[in-house]
Amino acid sequence: MIHNSTDVIIKTVARIFIPFIQLYALYVIMHGHYSPGGGFQGGVILGASLILLLITHGERVAMQRISENWITILFSLGVLIYAGIGTLCLFFGGNFLDYGVLAPLLHVSPAAARSLGILGVEIGVGIAVMSVMVSIFYNIARSGPYRNKGTTARRES
Amino acid sequence: MIDFLYGIGFGLCFLVLVVLYRGIFGPGVYNRIAAVSAVGTKTLIILLIMGFIYNRVDMFIDISMVYALLNFVGTLAAAKYLEMEK
Repeated sequence: MIHNSTDVIIKTVARIFIPFIQLYALYVIMHGHYSPGGGFQGGVILGASLILLLITHGERVAMQRISENWITILFSLGVLIYAGIGTLCLFFGGNFLDYGVLAPLLHVSPAAARSLGILGVEIGVGIAVMSVMVSIFYNIARSGPYRNKGTTARRES
Repeated sequence: MIDFLYGIGFGLCFLVLVVLYRGIFGPGVYNRIAAVSAVGTKTLIILLIMGFIYNRVDMFIDISMVYALLNFVGTLAAAKYLEMEK
């Protein structure tokens, strides 16, 4: 159980930092094909911002912002976006994750369809990585619904 | 100019080794947290110097910002863990 921090410096720094960290994570995800980064790295930064909120403002505030049910929905959704775009290419006659064949669906040239397809896959990977990071941290930090019931007594002794 | 950057880079690498001694053998947890934080800060500057050497500062500055960010969160998490242990 992580309680609310009593230190005013840490809380203020976290409150100012978290929106900029999330903005930077979106930048890393969106510019994954021009600069270092991409879906995984952006997802890790996005998860780090939520972990920072959990560490500084306590468990209750973090649970109000993003609950464990939402985390479960989000990491299923991320995998669905990734695998869905890949499988959609199969239906259009290409290989798995061959975005060029999506051009008639998106009404753009094949090169632009490849760029958009990579962006969509990276958004899916980013959502999945972010929610899995936060889910692991929730399960370590508290006795959540996914926790093994047998280990609870040993932890509290 | 490039010799100057190489000099600073190797000097910082040597200083990382000096701090690493405190991180491995240092008495107590607080010394180790401070050592890890200092190594992270030096790594950030070394990454920026590598960016200047390769003439691609715009890319290396992204990596170094992520490194600084995760270093901050990691130090805070370690401090929180110590606070809960009490």
